[in-house]
Amino acid sequence: MASTPSTPPTPQAQPAQATRCSDPACAEMTDWTLSRRSLLSTAGAAGAFTAVFGDTHVRAQAATAAPAASSSGAPVLLVLSLRGGADGLSLVVPHGDPAYYRARPRLAVPADRLLVADEMFGLHPALAPLADWWRSGRVAAVHAAGLPARNRSHFAAMEEVEDADPTSSLRVGWLNRLIGLDGVRSPLQAVHMGGAVPPSSLAGPEPSLSVPDPGSVRLAADGVVSRTARRRSLRSAWGADGGADLAPLVASARSVPGLVDAFVPATSAASSVTFPGTFLGKALSFASRTIRAGVGAQVVTVDHGGWDMHADLGTVESGDMRTLATELGEALAAFLADLGPHLDRTTVVVLSEFGRRTEENSSMGLDHGYGNAMLLAGAGVLGGRVHGTWPGLTLGSDADLLVTTDYRSVLAEVVRTRFGRSTSAVFPGFSPAPVGAMAG
Amino acid sequence: MPHPLAAARHHPTETTAKRARWAPATYRPASPVLSGEDRLIASRFSYGITPALAREVRRAGGGRAWFRAQLRPQAIADAAADRVPGWWPSLSYDPVTLTRRSNDGTEHTGVVMNHYQRQLLCRRVLTRRQVLEVMTEFWESHFHVPINGDGVFGFRRDYGDTIRRHALGSFADLLFATTTHPAMGMFLDNAESTRMAPNENLGRELLELHTVGRGHYTEDDVKASARILTGWRVVSWTTWATDYRPADHWTGPVRVMGFSDANADPDGRALTRRYTDHLASHPATADRICRKLATKFVADAPPATLVAKMTRTWRRTGGDIAAVLTTMVEAGEFTRASRPKVRTPGEDVVATYRALGATPKRPTRDSDAANEIVWQCYHLGDGTHAWPRPDGPPVTNDAWSTPNRMLASYHVHYRMTGGWWPATGAGLRAPEEWLPAKRLTMAEFVDHLCRTMLGRPSTSRLLKTACHAVDVKPGARITRTHPVVRRHLPVLLTALLDTPDHLTR
Repeated sequence: MASTPSTPPTPQAQPAQATRCSDPACAEMTDWTLSRRSLLSTAGAAGAFTAVFGDTHVRAQAATAAPAASSSGAPVLLVLSLRGGADGLSLVVPHGDPAYYRARPRLAVPADRLLVADEMFGLHPALAPLADWWRSGRVAAVHAAGLPARNRSHFAAMEEVEDADPTSSLRVGWLNRLIGLDGVRSPLQAVHMGGAVPPSSLAGPEPSLSVPDPGSVRLAADGVVSRTARRRSLRSAWGADGGADLAPLVASARSVPGLVDAFVPATSAASSVTFPGTFLGKALSFASRTIRAGVGAQVVTVDHGGWDMHADLGTVESGDMRTLATELGEALAAFLADLGPHLDRTTVVVLSEFGRRTEENSSMGLDHGYGNAMLLAGAGVLGGRVHGTWPGLTLGSDADLLVTTDYRSVLAEVVRTRFGRSTSAVFPGFSPAPVGAMAG
Repeated sequence: MPHPLAAARHHPTETTAKRARWAPATYRPASPVLSGEDRLIASRFSYGITPALAREVRRAGGGRAWFRAQLRPQAIADAAADRVPGWWPSLSYDPVTLTRRSNDGTEHTGVVMNHYQRQLLCRRVLTRRQVLEVMTEFWESHFHVPINGDGVFGFRRDYGDTIRRHALGSFADLLFATTTHPAMGMFLDNAESTRMAPNENLGRELLELHTVGRGHYTEDDVKASARILTGWRVVSWTTWATDYRPADHWTGPVRVMGFSDANADPDGRALTRRYTDHLASHPATADRICRKLATKFVADAPPATLVAKMTRTWRRTGGDIAAVLTTMVEAGEFTRASRPKVRTPGEDVVATYRALGATPKRPTRDSDAANEIVWQCYHLGDGTHAWPRPDGPPVTNDAWSTPNRMLASYHVHYRMTGGWWPATGAGLRAPEEWLPAKRLTMAEFVDHLCRTMLGRPSTSRLLKTACHAVDVKPGARITRTHPVVRRHLPVLLTALLDTPDHLTR
């Protein structure tokens, strides 16, 4: 195709469409092919599933943004999933438990390097950008949290965490149930940032939107020939109704231009801080813009891969933990700052499918474990402390941190205090225990 | 069957003049297209009707004859597709080698699995054994072992090849082969299951997902099912040996639904075969599998009469897949009750290659189509056999009909037609090669494109869609210097791909 330009033509009214290789989505995909660690980021993205279970009978206008009135001050939940099983004992270090240093002669974080330490816990030094947020009470942790029973398969544990409903064999995720509690059926209510495949927490009957990169929520070839040509063409293409079997496809096709237009404020919003150039920095930067633009997003999900550190987890000086914790701390701190006043309506939950074994293995790494730390930040969070009940570490090659707080108790507290919603509808058959990590 | 959209009625207030303006033209000499039952069969059982496929169907004597010939794939020469697996040498390495290469940083096992996905996608584009490949995908999705399942990488290609061998054969053989395959054993934990601690994962899914379905068995049946399957071990992460181990087989009487066995022999392999044979011939299995086939190939809600005809053939032939498919295709319901079927994202990507006449070449660079094709699928949210749950991807329309999917499909179509993604190795035509003559009208050009890309003649709806996209009137004279060819061809081609005609099969 020698006579075609090397990139698609620039639409007249919009920024240039990214070519594949400048897409964050593409960068992510490339990472996936190249990085041995990031396999699990896609297993996680797969923890996901495909193109969104259809909103089968959504009407064309339903795909427009929720009314502005409900979006400007409405609560937002950002769920950041650390894929691969992040080691919570390295992120929120139980330096007061003597077994910790016995279990990890090489990998333990020295007590004198910990940040915002109290008698029992301190943060990994690579999380330094979060220290001030911790001190000002906007960031907290819940330790020894996890699934009700041990599950050491990435695949199965991710699905169990995100489904969060052992009472049903229907594969519907807890965030899908959450956004299903109102009557609104806009895909803009739940946005997955940084990948094409939403997590299985969003699987289910409510539509959601996946945004591999900001450019992906544009209409391909829009504005290339003229301002109206492409949209007129699509109206002709999808003008006939095609019968019941095609109704969902036709409805979706007709909703797309409106959906794209409703999303424009998010694409055009500016950032007030400089985000790191990492994948997570880009994803959270766009998450912040989407929230601040008020397009109606109630739930935003982001997946961050690479936490499956069987080998080379390393020390505070070098290694995979230092690298990823730095990425996490920098990107999350930038996100909290960039939100500005919107931080008062935005709550962040950081979680992973399982923790890792207490004792280090022979490869400077840690194998799959059980209990873990969750991080909370932003609106409603009682920050500056570690919540939960510490079970005490035990030793042995198979020993792992026990779970004293069902992770659903933490999520239920967020749902109840921030969304004022019935937690039994979101976590069927589950009676949450009070955690005390959220105000209200 | 007329496509439901082909018969779109004109608005009653539309004037005769307007109708005339959008009357489709025929470009002559017209490339032949299929119609009626021929078209339906070829469309449902291929990854997209190309002019070459239309010729094959005609030469065979119609859709039914072509279908019957396709059921004997070994008689169909398929050199182009046979070469594809060789493009990625590590696909033929054993699990020990793959593990070593992954540990020493040579090639991560996840990358090998990407190669496996690529190999399948390129094969689907190129193969002349379209029915075999369509059915291989159907069964590989039904007996789902995700490429990123823990520890499956060393067995996954052989698993797919095994399914391909049985895809048109006996369901009982297929069921036994998948149930006892190490890839399945690793994915659903049977490889770790022992007499002391039977793991119920595969024992349950064998009943729930692979055969009879919910409502036909109890929890006690699940326990017995798991006991029957003990012994099929894999020594994971070291030798990857897959010997059957009698010492790990649970012995003693077992009963699952109507199946019972004394199970006295510590070598339970023959027992496993008796058990899977029983499940394969169970009426609930026949009903469930026939219904799934009819849902995939006929309509989301297939008529009970059709499913009944298929299950009768199942009973009569002992679950002969080719016979069941033939019954389905030759039943009156196949055409009468057929409804539009939405292409899955993966089917969309492969059909887009075929519509554009793109033929992936042996890759030498990351940017080559044979490598990029897998990312095109991921961009649509559908990693090939990467579905994250044991149930495999759904076969109904609604799952693939979301606004998100539309947005992503439009992007993939547009970047592909422009030669921007994939940037190399796709074997795309140059813009002027799309013109069948030095000079023709826009309406004639659209007819030629519809026949070439969509396997159908132009309609007034497609003509409008195309003309509006590039702001050109149907009567305009098109030559190689016209802006439609020189600048806007990607927009025009995309307009025809972003239609229900391309997004359904």
